[in-house]
Amino acid sequence: MLRWLGLRIAGGVFVLWAVATLIFFALRLIPGDPAQAILGGPGSQASPEALAQVRLDYGLDQPLAAQYFGALGRLLRGDLGTSYALKTDVGALILDQFWGTLVLTLAALAAAWIFALGLALWTTRGGWLSDRVGSGMEIMAAAVPHFWLASVFIIVFSSWLGWLPAISVPGPIGLVLPVLTLAIPLAGFLGQVMRESLADALESPFALSARARGESETGVRWYHGIRHAALPGISLSGWAFGALLSGAVVVETVFARPGLGRTLLNAVTIRDIPVVTGVALVSALAFILVTVVTDLVDRIADPRLGTS
Amino acid sequence: MTLSTTKLRSSTLSALALGAGIALMTAGCSAQTSGDGTSSAPTSDAGPVAGGTLVYASGDAEPTCLDPHVGGNYPQALISTQYLESLVSKNTAGEIIPWLATTWTEDADGLGWEFALRDDVTFTDGTPFDAAAVAANIAHLKDPNTASSTGYLAVGKVKEVVAVDDHTVRLELSTPDSALLDSLSQPWVAIESPTALKRSQEENCASPVGTGPFIVDTWVKQDKVALVQNKDYNSPPADAGHTGAALIDRIEWRFIPDSASRYAALQAGQVDVIDNAQPDTIAAAADKNGIAELNAPRPGAANRIELNSSKAPFDDVKVREAFIRAAIVNDGINSLFFGTAERSYSLLSSVEALGLSTPEYFDTDLAQANNLLDAAGWAEHDADGYRVKGGERLSLTFPVSTNQSIPAEQSLFQQIQATVKAAGFEVVLEPMDLSSWYGALAAHEYNLVSAPYTKVGPDVLRILYHSASITPAPSGYFANLAQVNDPEVDALLDEASQVTDPAKRAELYENAQRLVLSQFYVLPLYDQQNHYLHSTAVQGLRAMPTVSTPTFYDVWLDR
Repeated sequence: MLRWLGLRIAGGVFVLWAVATLIFFALRLIPGDPAQAILGGPGSQASPEALAQVRLDYGLDQPLAAQYFGALGRLLRGDLGTSYALKTDVGALILDQFWGTLVLTLAALAAAWIFALGLALWTTRGGWLSDRVGSGMEIMAAAVPHFWLASVFIIVFSSWLGWLPAISVPGPIGLVLPVLTLAIPLAGFLGQVMRESLADALESPFALSARARGESETGVRWYHGIRHAALPGISLSGWAFGALLSGAVVVETVFARPGLGRTLLNAVTIRDIPVVTGVALVSALAFILVTVVTDLVDRIADPRLGTS
Repeated sequence: MTLSTTKLRSSTLSALALGAGIALMTAGCSAQTSGDGTSSAPTSDAGPVAGGTLVYASGDAEPTCLDPHVGGNYPQALISTQYLESLVSKNTAGEIIPWLATTWTEDADGLGWEFALRDDVTFTDGTPFDAAAVAANIAHLKDPNTASSTGYLAVGKVKEVVAVDDHTVRLELSTPDSALLDSLSQPWVAIESPTALKRSQEENCASPVGTGPFIVDTWVKQDKVALVQNKDYNSPPADAGHTGAALIDRIEWRFIPDSASRYAALQAGQVDVIDNAQPDTIAAAADKNGIAELNAPRPGAANRIELNSSKAPFDDVKVREAFIRAAIVNDGINSLFFGTAERSYSLLSSVEALGLSTPEYFDTDLAQANNLLDAAGWAEHDADGYRVKGGERLSLTFPVSTNQSIPAEQSLFQQIQATVKAAGFEVVLEPMDLSSWYGALAAHEYNLVSAPYTKVGPDVLRILYHSASITPAPSGYFANLAQVNDPEVDALLDEASQVTDPAKRAELYENAQRLVLSQFYVLPLYDQQNHYLHSTAVQGLRAMPTVSTPTFYDVWLDR
């Protein structure tokens, strides 16, 4: 177990390094001068003096290798650098925005779980029609893009019915539409794998013996089935969290919610390299942590995995 | 064990994919950013009432700095109009009117201007407004550390600032500048507290201090800027609707990039005013009770397509004319803009008094276009129906900035693409994000381009069509995208920018415009669109006649 954890941590550090390196070089391949980004973004008419000053201040006149190792050194000290555009510390900026996104993604993950598990338990092997309707709903849910769902929700629940706010407001009411937008497509994915595993479980010998012991069909389903339905869902939750982080870019923009996704989008548009790198690293870190945790939970929920 | 190593590898790969995804997004991503200046709201019978909070929702990107000296773009101008003021302003007739300066005189040789300043104005941090403050602001704009890219151009000819006495300031110029007053009226040259300017740039960006009717209270990044009323306010421009403090207590300035969410929030009453209203939304709002429109075209250049005359095929005036004769623009504007935009035949915005409109150069005529192309040697057609000359197809590259061209405009370009095909032109539309777009322009990889330019006054013609503007800035940026390189145009624009006599100035600008228009360098489309929608509870809203930013000084809420 310890050896496993050590390996996971080493792997995580390697991934962080790889992400930092990839982003560092990828951002330099695309058109756009960092000094321009610092001086008001693309198309700014900054004077040669201003550009020279900025190149000096930010070390952009240094060779690429020196810039790269400089950046890595700062990262090792936990320093994410200074935003080109906002001129503030990237770490503090991300910390400010992180909670909004974390609350949004965790709430969406929880909602997706409830929808997927509920639908799978309700409709799997419940007869031809309910099975088809259930899996049809899952396929549809998994296929809808976030931006479309968000627009439909805004039109229906804000413009027509006036029940829910179209843009973020403080408090849980402002979370409803953004969470639903993120949760529904994810619930579609999770539901499909849960349904498959649940269907297998309901046909397996232990379900048969439970029925033979006289347990009701509902009991078999909700007591024995749920663990089997949940297992693939737990394994997928790490991936799901990553998907939610990228979905947050769209959802935070459409619902005008503060958060990491919107920070990233703004930073990308104006080529704010330190912020883009910082958000990518923090997202990767969060992703790694969640995968480790889900693997642990997986091992606890399924003793077969822990034997090695 | 095998299981956990495979898992490790797969999560490693996923994280790498996540990183790569972000990098790819960086490369290919884009976000949306873009009358008579008085609102169409029915006026209320009840008189103005004081108090209340107004919520403004901007579709532009959140400024990275609230001080418009730094950088200097339109989103900064929008918000700083509420808390910063300039030396002079403009009225709807286009005349320069007093603001923080009461009177001004120009030396006979045009090399010096003397401004008498108001002596009863105080910045909201308690610093008195005086000649030294003006000097400190111009020094701030010219300081490379400020990184001003708009304001510093406006004061480019100011060589020295002299405080004659506490409330008289002299600007010494390197060459006469007939655009000086226009330039000084812009929000990017607004006057800030010299005490506040001494703080770090980070601090000054977060809470710039001016003399305006509102004060920056707090700024929660990605969420909102809160502005509160300046109770001691006494310096409205000469054309304001009242005197004394503003009527509303507070403004919440929010950023809602998605246009549908912005409109939904307005309909739901979550916000009171939205900007960047899209044509379909404006049309939909027209028959909604409780929502009114403010249409305030921006000054400076009209939105237009420029034909790059520096290289084939548009180095030949016949080919340029053929393109313009073949392009059917009006039908597209009518259908795509739902009557919200009016076709322009001018280089300048319709709010510019000296703009010259020449519909005669823009009659569509396919037969003439074909004749011109035959005469220019593009006489043969290839299998796809495009014209060819010496084995080369008559193909035009058109990089389109998805940040600056709204969806309706991008569709208009597609319609133009379809109509000029009839004459044998191939137009290759290349949608791209802002940085890539500037990159393509800097590399001269374009035959057609549409780039907005906002500035007060006709001097924008010098920026856009003087041959000096072909020389790129260090960033590769240059403003003369049609690459007009005509000594006659240069001479007219040089003289116009220095002449003191208004009648002579008007004549010179007219001649310069006619020269550029008659050589088919430019296909004008419409004014730079600037539409606001607001709740009819918002009374007394108007746009500043300078750069068409709305001001909330006279606004009161009829809730």
